[in-house]
Amino acid sequence: MNTVDASVVSMPRAQAAWKRLLLSEYLVLVLTVVYFLAMWTIVPEIATLDTQLDILSAMMPLLVVAIGQTFVLIVAGIDLSAPSIIAMASVVGASVLTGDGGYASGTGFEIAAGILAFIAVGCAIGTFNGICTTRFNMPSFIVTLTTMMFFSGAAIWYTTVHTDASSIGNLPRAFVAIGQDRVFGLPISLAVVLAVAGTAHFVLSRTVYGRWLYAVGLNPRAAAVSGIPVRRVIFWAFVISGMCAAIASILYTGRLETGTPVLGQRILLDVVGAAVIGGVSLFGGKGKILWTIFGVLFLTVIDKSLQLLGLPIASVFAIKGSIILSAAIIDAVRHRLLVRA
Amino acid sequence: MPENNSQPLLAAEGLCKSFFGVEVLHKVGFSLQAGRVLGLVGENGSGKSTAMNIIGGVHQMDAGRIQFDGADYRPKGPRDAAKQGIAFIHQELNLFRNLSIAENLFITDFPKLVPGLPFIDRRAARASAAKLLAAVDLNLSPTTVVNRLSQGERQLVEIAKAIGGKARVIIFDEPTTSLTTRETGRLFDIINRLRQQGIAIIYISHILEDIMRLCDDIVVLRDGHVVGTAPKSEMTIEGMISLMVGRRIDQLFPPREAPVTPGTPVLEVRGLTQHGTVKDITFTLRAGEVLGLSGLMGAGRSELARILFGIDSFGSGEIVIQGTPVKTPTPAACMDHGMAFLTEDRRAEGLMMEAPIGHNIALSSLQTYASGLAGVIDRTRLDGDIAKISASVQIGARDIARTLVKNLSGGNQQKVVIGKWLLRAPRVFILDEPTRGIDVGAKNEVYKIINRLAAGGAGILMISSETEELIGMCDRIMVMAHGEIRATFERGGFNREEILRAAMWDGIRNAAQ
Amino acid sequence: MTGLRGKLVLLVLQNAPLLLFAVLVIVFGLMSDRFLTPINFVNIVNQSSHIAIIAIGMTFVLLIAGIDLSVGANMYLSAAVLGVFLPGLPPLLAFPVVVVLGLAFGMVNAFMITQLRVAAFITTLSTLFIGRGIALYFSGNKMVPFSKDVLTFGRTAFFGVPSAIWVFLVVLLIALVVLRLTAFGRQVYAIGADPDAAAKAGINVKRVVFSVYCICGVCAAVGGLVSGSQVAVASSTFGFQKEFPVIAAAVLGGTSLFGGRGGVLGTVFGAVLIQTVENGLVMTNANPYLYPLVISVIIFIAVFTDSSRTTVLERLERRKIRVEPD
Repeated sequence: MNTVDASVVSMPRAQAAWKRLLLSEYLVLVLTVVYFLAMWTIVPEIATLDTQLDILSAMMPLLVVAIGQTFVLIVAGIDLSAPSIIAMASVVGASVLTGDGGYASGTGFEIAAGILAFIAVGCAIGTFNGICTTRFNMPSFIVTLTTMMFFSGAAIWYTTVHTDASSIGNLPRAFVAIGQDRVFGLPISLAVVLAVAGTAHFVLSRTVYGRWLYAVGLNPRAAAVSGIPVRRVIFWAFVISGMCAAIASILYTGRLETGTPVLGQRILLDVVGAAVIGGVSLFGGKGKILWTIFGVLFLTVIDKSLQLLGLPIASVFAIKGSIILSAAIIDAVRHRLLVRA
Repeated sequence: MPENNSQPLLAAEGLCKSFFGVEVLHKVGFSLQAGRVLGLVGENGSGKSTAMNIIGGVHQMDAGRIQFDGADYRPKGPRDAAKQGIAFIHQELNLFRNLSIAENLFITDFPKLVPGLPFIDRRAARASAAKLLAAVDLNLSPTTVVNRLSQGERQLVEIAKAIGGKARVIIFDEPTTSLTTRETGRLFDIINRLRQQGIAIIYISHILEDIMRLCDDIVVLRDGHVVGTAPKSEMTIEGMISLMVGRRIDQLFPPREAPVTPGTPVLEVRGLTQHGTVKDITFTLRAGEVLGLSGLMGAGRSELARILFGIDSFGSGEIVIQGTPVKTPTPAACMDHGMAFLTEDRRAEGLMMEAPIGHNIALSSLQTYASGLAGVIDRTRLDGDIAKISASVQIGARDIARTLVKNLSGGNQQKVVIGKWLLRAPRVFILDEPTRGIDVGAKNEVYKIINRLAAGGAGILMISSETEELIGMCDRIMVMAHGEIRATFERGGFNREEILRAAMWDGIRNAAQ
Repeated sequence: MTGLRGKLVLLVLQNAPLLLFAVLVIVFGLMSDRFLTPINFVNIVNQSSHIAIIAIGMTFVLLIAGIDLSVGANMYLSAAVLGVFLPGLPPLLAFPVVVVLGLAFGMVNAFMITQLRVAAFITTLSTLFIGRGIALYFSGNKMVPFSKDVLTFGRTAFFGVPSAIWVFLVVLLIALVVLRLTAFGRQVYAIGADPDAAAKAGINVKRVVFSVYCICGVCAAVGGLVSGSQVAVASSTFGFQKEFPVIAAAVLGGTSLFGGRGGVLGTVFGAVLIQTVENGLVMTNANPYLYPLVISVIIFIAVFTDSSRTTVLERLERRKIRVEPD
């Protein structure tokens, strides 16, 4: 131990700065900027306003899901069902909205009813996940795995009941606008996501529930002894995650103009990956909305740059995987440094 | 049979060990001869377990020297100790519950079908396991999964493992606490047989009657010092008790003025019973009173506290907090009635080690500082009160908002937990081992806080294994043994030996029979 | 008393998947006369063999309380290498090459987890991406056809039993022997039950954990080969999200996600159960869109009973202070 301390003292200034950067919570943001600047020299298009806006709107739905996931990760759970919630909410919501015989079509309040349907699906599935993990002591990994399988299938089945096509289209223009339109040059979805992110940040940092979430994640036994309703805290984390997935579903569905049962199928690992890259711990108690935003931004910028480079899907996969892995290794190193400090 | 009785098999001298600057062993020495049983007695925290953990390789000694079989002995770890022939049977058994007895016995060196190939010779394993089980009189198939064994049977498996590992010294740490009378008798038969085979045994127990029945030599420890070493013939139970108690002037207790008139009852417990844990607990705690709860480890003190605070459930009985009967206590309900609970294990149940001091102190009071539907925390008010509390309990840290609890000393950590509850201004405060593992200075400060709380009209239930501390702090002391309250002493009538005798009630009763 | 009732509840909970299986077989048997035939049974086992093989590897990982999400990617990588680089090689030569590749894949996971101490979940999540990426690079994101020899192997039956089942039986046999008859196997269980106690008892925990991920990698590659030889071409979604049914099969078979409990026979049972349900639904002309729903409900029931069992067990084993007569 003493030798370590001595080496820190005698460490050259540059090395100390590196260490500080490594331990900084802005590390991911710094990495994103560095990566962005490096890419700029190769594909200058990345710096155009259009690309920027593209990156923004591409990252929006992903970000909302990741924010919900952050809540669950903080209480040391995991929600694998998010993609299936997106799919299920998408087709149920679309079946309410669609001009082709939607449940609320032509009533005049179809937009409100549709959005309500999205949210209701998300909350319902989140509630189910929450009950199973807190009341029946089932591991969240396997509960949300089965809900994922169930609702992925259910979304497809639901579509077949409503239409012969593979998706439910003809959605009202006003709804599509949520996912596509820009106001003063900025996507509407951005406003939605900012609202969600702002609320989530507020809840986590300023409210009793936010503090309780961290306490449950850090030490559930101490939390219980301190009078915190541990089960209820975990339960709501799953509901919130479900609701965030539903909001993401609204944005995706609006962007694509159809309710699709395969929506979001491939984003699961992106969501968890982004949160973890940002610094959210899989073991609970550690996470911030800001970190999640950095993580999502990082992944999206990389996705976009690889796309601009015209790289085949193969390289995109491999590079993305390597990046998640490096982030995990950096995190492991960081953890060891912190333990020593 | 031991070939030479005067030559000790294992001899320790000058063992010293400190944890976090607190000396728990001071120049401890004893010797052990082949074919003899050495009894090790002392109060909780007297250093018995630490001494044995050093012999068993769990801890490393700071100073001193151990001779084993004529050579220097300094185990690198438990595995190394076992290899050299010293087996340690802990109170918490180290068996894999999902594996069979035979597998547990041979987990690291299974007999092989063909030398050099990895395949287990199951028949040979079963046969050798059966032989070892026969040696401990355990009439079970070696293929039985450990999960299905009773506590006593598991203990015998551990002994079989020690024998299989060619142990020449076997250390038992409180082996009978969870055994039935029959199982205990069986264990003693086995130990006697091991002795005849020339194995040396160290036996730690609180049950002095057992020590007298079983041991050849007895070593008494107190506060990390050896205060008595004698063959059994020169020792009596009474003698052991007075050696264990001794006279101590190492702690100064702040003066305490007992309330002139007893206050109103703040906690009334009537006939509280939970099968297998506590039986028929009845007492009343009054405002301004410090009520001590004494007893040996495993007497049910912490279990009682956990039931009172609503963490564990109970079968029958009644709990009344500040005049209100609490039918289904939960921590939240108890807290609403003004109760607070400092757990004995502050790392596991008291603190968020990875969080800063401020967050820990605020943990149980957040709702008090929240407003609106969203439960927004009034941070200015909260931070102000946290600063006040941490000043009043004198937490030695520069930055309350940033310093992580895991970087604090034990004493400061304990003050954080106390601060957490003080923020709620509790009327009933249950303290489970409030001074465990903290240094003398911090202890004194904790005592002062307790006195201040009592003076302010709170009722305090203080659980402690240090009788001296209870005598110094309490107005009344209840003694628990085997889940029951055996005796209650009033201030003025405190007597260390009487208290200890009540706590060891079982042993005395058996001796009388 | 409570003891007896507890034991009874436990007995039912312990055999819940088996009861479920019996009920399903009876129901499907009543609904379709083609279901309860020997040919159909062989068919079910044949179709479930690749999942069973990979799930056997996964069982090792779950037994030490680990997880491997990269099996699907590993599978695809094996298939891609087999189809793209080794089309000329006879299966007897090509297969071992691919298996070694799977081993290497597992070693990468194992190295990250044991040496760099990265969490298994995140390690295998990233190797999932990397593995699939490399495989897509090899395949050029196109269908990968397999050589005629490979297909012949896939379609051949020895003694009336398809080759896939033979491979599966060999893997099962080896896994059974390793888990039950070697010290390594028993140490796997010990580590899953209590890693600290295992280290204290002198087990080389790191080495065992390393080997376990290697075993899982090998099994994933073999599963990829078996599946590939059955389907003629590997599309770019070959093995995609296969980790989920694989984990489900193991859990269905009674293997705990928290380590130390379960075994390969149960896992095989789980894999066959899933396939039986799917097969039964086909036979009874159920709406194909409902298949995943039914299967996930069945997995859910199995996990639910498993958690209830754990809760009951915990209640039965609570530590007592007073020794009271029952």
